Amino acid sequence: MMRFELAWSSLRRHATRTILATLGVAVAAAMLLDMVMMSTGMRESFRELLLSRGFQVRLAPKGTLPFDTDATIENTSRIVTLLRTNPQIVTISPVLGGTIQIQVGNRIVTSAALGIDPLVQGDYELLSGKDPVADDAIVGNDDFIRAAGARIGDTLTVASGYDAQLRTFASERRLVLTGRVRFLYGATNQLATAMRLATLQAMSGPERTDDASLFMIKVRDEAQVETAREWMERAIPSVSAISTSTALAQVDQRLSYFRQLAVILGSVSLFVGFLLVTTLVTVSVNERIGEITVMRALGVSRAHVVQQIVLEAIALMLAGSIAGLGLGLATAHYLNAILSSFPGLPTAINFFLFQPKSAWTALGLLALSGIAAGIYPSFRAASLPIATTLRQEAIA
Amino acid sequence: MFIHLLAALLLVQNPTQRTIAIDERLAEDAHIAIGDKVFVASAPGSKAGDTVIVSALIKRGADPAEIARSEYRVRMHLDQLQDLVGYGDRVDRFAVATRNPAATESALAAINSSAFGFQAHRSRDIAVGTSKTFQVVSRFHKAIGFITIVASAIFLLCIMLLKVEERRRDVAALRLMGISRFTVVTAVVMEAALLAVVGSVMGIAISWLASHFINWYYQGVYRTPLYFSLITTPIVTLAVVLSLVLGIGAGLLASLRLARTPPISLFGR
Repeated sequence: MMRFELAWSSLRRHATRTILATLGVAVAAAMLLDMVMMSTGMRESFRELLLSRGFQVRLAPKGTLPFDTDATIENTSRIVTLLRTNPQIVTISPVLGGTIQIQVGNRIVTSAALGIDPLVQGDYELLSGKDPVADDAIVGNDDFIRAAGARIGDTLTVASGYDAQLRTFASERRLVLTGRVRFLYGATNQLATAMRLATLQAMSGPERTDDASLFMIKVRDEAQVETAREWMERAIPSVSAISTSTALAQVDQRLSYFRQLAVILGSVSLFVGFLLVTTLVTVSVNERIGEITVMRALGVSRAHVVQQIVLEAIALMLAGSIAGLGLGLATAHYLNAILSSFPGLPTAINFFLFQPKSAWTALGLLALSGIAAGIYPSFRAASLPIATTLRQEAIA
Repeated sequence: MFIHLLAALLLVQNPTQRTIAIDERLAEDAHIAIGDKVFVASAPGSKAGDTVIVSALIKRGADPAEIARSEYRVRMHLDQLQDLVGYGDRVDRFAVATRNPAATESALAAINSSAFGFQAHRSRDIAVGTSKTFQVVSRFHKAIGFITIVASAIFLLCIMLLKVEERRRDVAALRLMGISRFTVVTAVVMEAALLAVVGSVMGIAISWLASHFINWYYQGVYRTPLYFSLITTPIVTLAVVLSLVLGIGAGLLASLRLARTPPISLFGR
């Protein structure tokens, strides 16, 4: 108990210095927490998004990632038949991507469109209304409904392109807006719709009547996912079978810059915190050499001195860390808002995902750093020659 | 549009064979050299393709929007690609050169008044739109930079305060010898300024080295000629001014406090 009291009184003696150091550690701790959150958050967030509907494997055109290019997979029906022969595969959800146009007054609204199987789709959640189960049905997100000025039940004239020579829309259809949805992979402010796969295939022209951009596959047994993925890649040479782990590895590769930035800035923050506390405690010890030597002369053990000084360092680190936790969460929220505006990034992706593990990791690293920061000055204080130091102090 | 390049070197020479230019990354990864024949098709495994000769290698442009993309690029003749992918007589875009800015405006107005299904844009507007990714990264860097500056400022303030505090006895001795408060304060502030200048110069040298390392590393990782870190005059000026202001400010505050304290108290008596 005495060690705590001595450490506390030493910190209180130079209140300005202690407050400044705590503030410095708080900013470093906030940065460290943010960087720990960023290094794991986006990966975890993307994993949660991929697995949100239970699809463990995606089939994309060979050599591409889902919706990364305009390439499509041909012979969808044959592929679906082939996939159904594998007893491990329980759900197959083919998806075709495209673009549609709707004339609203004098302006043309262009929106992304997905052709899906409404019974097994994993691309959106229905907010109100009904799924597009009929051939002439379409559902849209809030941005689309707002831009089209439509309401559920309205009939829209939808085209899938232009014929510039004839100055008309191509493949026009009249579709009924049956539902309001939220797209899981949709980007902020992106206009998006969904309709039956066959409807979009028919609207996309003769060359796409049996095409899909992507297949989402649900495998019965989690342990068999990799075996099923390998089988799919062997059985269908025109596709790349991408498991969640492969997709995560691709995302890791694409966003490696942010992960490395997180490691570098996190390390720098930790080092700055360590340096600040080490400097402060060292100066504090230098100022109290006389006091410490007197304590040693009175019979206080070396271990006691070491513990007291290390406690001072830890107290500074912990006080700063606790203040830094709140600051870190606030800055993470702000930084996440900036990165969320990446063009095409799904709204559901969080770069800074708070997980208790992140906070504990940051706190643990700072506590260790506090201990390390106290080692040098405490060792120096404990090894002072008592008689010589007392004599020098008396002369001074 | 991307073409899946099926790696198949053919032995039969065809006099009507056409040429393509390929991404230097593809050439390196697939061990293809200029003069090699390759079979190109619009779909993996497709037999309906064309055998062409690689006539040139193209370097990846310094386009921020392409940094994270690892796809290869191939340049073909327009009709060659149209035939290959069954695109008919269509194109994705036209690039139009005009004589002067006034001609650009009139061309834009003329095209957009008669166009159906397409629209004319100024090149600079497209550049702004496509660099949005980089703008986001830039905003993120600025936010991180601000936090770093706050942390550095507090750190610098702490160090300067401690540095001046360490001079308690020296200042007391000077004051007892009759040196004026003004001289003491000026001396301490000058010392702080000198420290700040030396620290700034060292910081610039370290950041110059770090910048070279960052560019070397990330240009290698993303295989791009893009510069990731640039040390510009405004950045150097900001760093030096900030460290000088903070250093001198902290020195001034601490030295004023010391100068106001009676010398005997500074000795701890």
